[in-house]
Amino acid sequence: MLLIITVILCIGIIISALLAIYLNNMISIVISAGLSGLFASVTYVMLAAPDVAMTEAAIGSGLTTLIFLYAINKTKCKDDINDY
Amino acid sequence: MAEAILNLSILLILLSIGIGLIRLVKGNTVLDRVIALDLLTLVSMALIIIIAHINNRFIYIDVALVYGLLSFLGVLAVARYLEKRL
Repeated sequence: MLLIITVILCIGIIISALLAIYLNNMISIVISAGLSGLFASVTYVMLAAPDVAMTEAAIGSGLTTLIFLYAINKTKCKDDINDY
Repeated sequence: MAEAILNLSILLILLSIGIGLIRLVKGNTVLDRVIALDLLTLVSMALIIIIAHINNRFIYIDVALVYGLLSFLGVLAVARYLEKRL
Protein backbone atom coordinates (compact mmCIF):
# COMPACT_ATOMS: atom_id res chain seq x y z
CA MET A 1 0.00 0.00 0.00
CA LEU A 2 2.86 2.40 0.79
CA LEU A 3 4.41 1.62 -2.59
CA ILE A 4 1.15 2.53 -4.34
CA ILE A 5 1.02 5.84 -2.44
CA THR A 6 4.60 6.67 -3.44
CA VAL A 7 3.98 5.82 -7.11
CA ILE A 8 0.85 7.97 -7.27
CA LEU A 9 2.64 10.89 -5.57
CA CYS A 10 5.49 10.64 -8.09
CA ILE A 11 2.94 10.64 -10.94
CA GLY A 12 1.53 13.80 -9.36
CA ILE A 13 4.99 15.41 -9.34
CA ILE A 14 5.43 14.59 -13.04
CA ILE A 15 1.98 15.91 -13.99
CA SER A 16 2.54 19.16 -12.05
CA ALA A 17 5.96 19.69 -13.63
CA LEU A 18 4.57 19.11 -17.13
CA LEU A 19 1.76 21.56 -16.41
CA ALA A 20 4.31 24.10 -15.17
CA ILE A 21 6.12 23.75 -18.48
CA TYR A 22 3.24 23.64 -20.95
CA LEU A 23 0.65 26.06 -19.56
CA ASN A 24 0.60 29.60 -20.94
CA ASN A 25 -0.86 31.52 -18.02
CA MET A 26 1.50 32.98 -15.44
CA ILE A 27 -0.57 32.37 -12.30
CA SER A 28 -1.37 28.82 -13.37
CA ILE A 29 2.34 28.17 -13.85
CA VAL A 30 3.12 29.45 -10.34
CA ILE A 31 0.31 27.31 -8.87
CA SER A 32 1.58 24.22 -10.69
CA ALA A 33 5.13 24.80 -9.44
CA GLY A 34 3.85 25.10 -5.86
CA LEU A 35 1.86 21.91 -6.30
CA SER A 36 4.98 20.10 -7.46
CA GLY A 37 6.63 21.18 -4.20
CA LEU A 38 3.62 19.89 -2.26
CA PHE A 39 3.81 16.41 -3.79
CA ALA A 40 7.58 16.38 -3.29
CA SER A 41 7.05 17.20 0.38
CA VAL A 42 4.63 14.29 0.88
CA THR A 43 7.07 12.04 -0.97
CA TYR A 44 9.83 13.08 1.45
CA VAL A 45 7.57 12.04 4.32
CA MET A 46 7.06 8.69 2.61
CA LEU A 47 10.84 8.31 2.34
CA ALA A 48 11.22 8.87 6.12
CA ALA A 49 12.74 12.36 6.03
CA PRO A 50 10.37 14.64 7.98
CA ASP A 51 12.82 17.52 8.42
CA VAL A 52 13.43 17.79 4.69
CA ALA A 53 9.67 17.63 4.17
CA MET A 54 9.14 20.45 6.67
CA THR A 55 11.70 22.67 4.93
CA GLU A 56 10.20 21.89 1.54
CA ALA A 57 6.73 22.73 2.82
CA ALA A 58 7.89 26.05 4.25
CA ILE A 59 10.08 27.22 1.39
CA GLY A 60 9.09 25.31 -1.72
CA SER A 61 5.36 25.74 -1.47
CA GLY A 62 4.76 28.74 0.77
CA LEU A 63 7.53 31.23 0.16
CA THR A 64 8.21 30.53 -3.53
CA THR A 65 4.59 31.12 -4.56
CA LEU A 66 4.51 34.39 -2.63
CA ILE A 67 7.79 35.69 -4.07
CA PHE A 68 6.90 34.66 -7.62
CA LEU A 69 3.52 36.38 -7.43
CA TYR A 70 5.16 39.51 -5.97
CA ALA A 71 7.72 39.56 -8.80
CA ILE A 72 5.06 38.99 -11.48
CA ASN A 73 3.02 41.80 -9.99
CA LYS A 74 6.07 44.10 -10.08
CA THR A 75 6.99 43.31 -13.68
CA LYS A 76 3.52 43.17 -15.19
CA CYS A 77 2.72 44.79 -18.51
CA LYS A 78 -0.66 46.16 -19.46
CA ASP A 79 -1.66 43.28 -21.72
CA ASP A 80 -1.88 40.43 -19.27
CA ILE A 81 -3.86 42.02 -16.49
CA ASN A 82 -7.12 40.29 -17.37
CA ASP A 83 -5.68 36.83 -17.75
CA TYR A 84 -7.98 34.90 -15.46
CA MET B 1 -11.12 -4.06 11.10
CA ALA B 2 -8.91 -1.07 11.79
CA GLU B 3 -6.60 -2.19 8.98
CA ALA B 4 -9.53 -2.30 6.57
CA ILE B 5 -10.65 1.18 7.59
CA LEU B 6 -7.12 2.55 7.07
CA ASN B 7 -6.84 0.92 3.65
CA LEU B 8 -10.24 2.25 2.63
CA SER B 9 -9.36 5.76 3.77
CA ILE B 10 -6.06 5.63 1.86
CA LEU B 11 -7.93 4.53 -1.26
CA LEU B 12 -10.42 7.38 -0.90
CA ILE B 13 -7.59 9.88 -0.39
CA LEU B 14 -5.79 8.64 -3.50
CA LEU B 15 -9.04 8.90 -5.47
CA SER B 16 -9.43 12.46 -4.24
CA ILE B 17 -5.87 13.27 -5.34
CA GLY B 18 -6.72 11.92 -8.79
CA ILE B 19 -9.87 14.01 -9.03
CA GLY B 20 -7.95 17.12 -7.96
CA LEU B 21 -5.29 16.47 -10.58
CA ILE B 22 -7.99 16.07 -13.25
CA ARG B 23 -9.46 19.42 -12.23
CA LEU B 24 -5.99 20.97 -12.29
CA VAL B 25 -5.26 19.69 -15.80
CA LYS B 26 -8.67 20.48 -17.29
CA GLY B 27 -9.24 23.73 -15.42
CA ASN B 28 -10.30 26.55 -17.68
CA THR B 29 -9.71 29.47 -15.36
CA VAL B 30 -7.18 30.31 -12.67
CA LEU B 31 -9.86 30.05 -9.98
CA ASP B 32 -10.40 26.34 -10.72
CA ARG B 33 -6.69 25.74 -10.29
CA VAL B 34 -6.59 27.69 -7.01
CA ILE B 35 -9.43 25.55 -5.64
CA ALA B 36 -7.62 22.42 -6.85
CA LEU B 37 -4.46 23.57 -5.04
CA ASP B 38 -6.40 24.09 -1.81
CA LEU B 39 -8.09 20.69 -2.12
CA LEU B 40 -4.80 18.91 -2.77
CA THR B 41 -3.18 20.64 0.21
CA LEU B 42 -5.94 19.47 2.58
CA VAL B 43 -5.88 15.94 1.18
CA SER B 44 -2.09 15.78 1.47
CA MET B 45 -2.31 16.80 5.13
CA ALA B 46 -4.72 13.92 5.76
CA LEU B 47 -2.40 11.55 3.90
CA ILE B 48 0.60 12.63 5.99
CA ILE B 49 -1.32 12.00 9.21
CA ILE B 50 -2.41 8.53 8.06
CA ILE B 51 1.20 7.72 7.11
CA ALA B 52 2.26 8.83 10.61
CA HIS B 53 -0.28 6.43 12.11
CA ILE B 54 0.80 3.54 9.89
CA ASN B 55 4.54 3.96 10.46
CA ASN B 56 3.92 4.67 14.17
CA ARG B 57 6.10 7.80 14.09
CA PHE B 58 4.33 10.81 15.52
CA ILE B 59 7.04 13.27 14.49
CA TYR B 60 5.41 13.22 11.04
CA ILE B 61 2.42 15.10 12.41
CA ASP B 62 4.64 18.18 12.77
CA VAL B 63 5.03 18.26 8.99
CA ALA B 64 1.26 18.33 8.59
CA LEU B 65 1.10 21.08 11.25
CA VAL B 66 3.62 23.27 9.39
CA TYR B 67 1.77 22.60 6.16
CA GLY B 68 -1.55 23.57 7.65
CA LEU B 69 -0.06 26.79 8.99
CA LEU B 70 1.49 27.73 5.66
CA SER B 71 -1.06 26.43 3.18
CA PHE B 72 -3.33 29.46 3.29
CA LEU B 73 -0.49 31.77 2.20
CA GLY B 74 -0.49 30.58 -1.39
CA VAL B 75 -4.24 30.90 -1.81
CA LEU B 76 -4.17 34.27 -0.07
CA ALA B 77 -1.37 35.53 -2.34
CA VAL B 78 -3.22 34.46 -5.48
CA ALA B 79 -6.42 36.07 -4.20
CA ARG B 80 -4.64 39.34 -3.47
CA TYR B 81 -2.97 39.19 -6.89
CA LEU B 82 -6.30 38.72 -8.63
CA GLU B 83 -7.58 41.68 -6.68
CA LYS B 84 -4.67 43.60 -8.35
CA ARG B 85 -3.16 44.97 -5.17
CA LEU B 86 -0.62 42.53 -3.82
